[in-house]
Amino acid sequence: MLIMKHASKIYAGGAKALQDINVHIKPGEFVFLVGPSGAGKSTFIKLISREIELTSGQIFVDGVDVMKLRDDEIPYLRRQLGIVFQDYRLLNDRTAFENVAFAMQVIETPSKKVRERVTEVLNLVGLGDRGDNYPGEMSGGEQQRVAIARAIVNDPLLVIADEPTGNLDPETSMEIMNIFTEINKRGATIIMATHDKTMVDYMRQRVIAIEDGRIVRDEIKGVYGYEL
Amino acid sequence: MSFSTKWYYLRETFKSLKRNSLMSIASVSTVALSILVLGLFLTMVLNVNNLAQYLENQVQVTVYMEDSATAVQRRQTEQQLKIMPGVMEVKGVTKEQALANFKKRLREQQKLLDALGEENPFPYSFEIKVDKPERIQQIVPKIEQMPGVETAKFGQEVVEHIFQLTRILRIGGILLIVMLAIATLFIISNTIRLTVFARRREVSIMKYVGATNWFIRWPFLLEGMIMGFVGALVAAVSLFKIYDAVQEKIYATLAFFPLLPSWPFMGYLCAGLVAVGTIIGAAGSGISLRKFLDV
Repeated sequence: MLIMKHASKIYAGGAKALQDINVHIKPGEFVFLVGPSGAGKSTFIKLISREIELTSGQIFVDGVDVMKLRDDEIPYLRRQLGIVFQDYRLLNDRTAFENVAFAMQVIETPSKKVRERVTEVLNLVGLGDRGDNYPGEMSGGEQQRVAIARAIVNDPLLVIADEPTGNLDPETSMEIMNIFTEINKRGATIIMATHDKTMVDYMRQRVIAIEDGRIVRDEIKGVYGYEL
Repeated sequence: MSFSTKWYYLRETFKSLKRNSLMSIASVSTVALSILVLGLFLTMVLNVNNLAQYLENQVQVTVYMEDSATAVQRRQTEQQLKIMPGVMEVKGVTKEQALANFKKRLREQQKLLDALGEENPFPYSFEIKVDKPERIQQIVPKIEQMPGVETAKFGQEVVEHIFQLTRILRIGGILLIVMLAIATLFIISNTIRLTVFARRREVSIMKYVGATNWFIRWPFLLEGMIMGFVGALVAAVSLFKIYDAVQEKIYATLAFFPLLPSWPFMGYLCAGLVAVGTIIGAAGSGISLRKFLDV
């Protein structure tokens, strides 16, 4: 699903964000990306959606060489991805329903199908009755669930989450994590950057640890491994 | 492009126009003003051009006979004039006809006529039409040599002055048109920049969920086009009204002034201006979007 070969990213200022990263993530895997702040986790995630470009090396998403895509092909790469952010990134002037529907309208889905699918996904994340609420009327956990619904509404191959529970309390984090587990069970591959030690230790999934731009650990059924 | 998508574009466009209604109105007014100035100027240039052409085609030489010239002399002169190279038409105008023409032209200034009393100061004359304006310079001295001819007059100087004026107006006009077009482009691109800026979060989320650049662009392009179109339409209607009013004024005082008739001239001009306004609107928003789409 995701392959990185000798991937390196050096920012314009000379900062080496990632160095010689080699990763192979198979379809259906659930992977935690851990490491101290500034270690390169966000860079790792931005490279997958080609928000930034590699300095050297290769990235393949579902067999597609991401670096070889033309600018006008990038939207089609992103349609294969569902991205969840720490700060939710919802549109505050639209209801939960509209926020999720937005992701389908953008890829020109017929409105009838949009209605059916959005309802289905909102039910999946447990917000079946909150569709008419605006983000401002929802708790952080609920907003993050809307964001997850938006990320999975187009059935992405790969769901990428950058600190999705970073702003949430442990209990809400657990609920969010359960939703991700459910999505994973339904077949999506998940890559999640996180600082949430409790969650990583509890889930016992594959853990990739990054420090100073290098992979220092890659374990199946791993643990967080850092002292808080 | 599916129906849902088209509907989505339209909804987004009008939502955005409404959300930034004050700014939109300001832009539309500025566009209208720029295009109106542009239109007024074009109207002027085209009319002066028309006037010059009219006068050029009118180039005729008037040959005034001495009052003492006999009927035989007149006939001889007429024959000689007719065989001169380049002369197309020779028309004799009697003293009485000349007076009648003059009366017709003065119409309201009856007092001037009264001052003449019974006397007819107009000499017998010939009006000659030539094929080209350049011909006049050659034939006039020859005509003045003929027996019984007092003088030969022509409007060449006036025509030359008017042509000079058209040249200046044309050069100045192109400069002015370019400047006004750039100004209008700026205004629209600035307004769109503001609306895109206000919606940059939305634009970046659109990029994350895989919207193509054209999908993001369309509502903004439509917005720019609508602003350009409405602004230009306001300008075109005003221009039409102004031209009609001016035309009425001019005909009331300068009856013989050759103005371009408002139809179809104004129709073409207004259609052109509206098209230009719409294109500038689209171009303006295109320019301001380029930067924001780079996510």
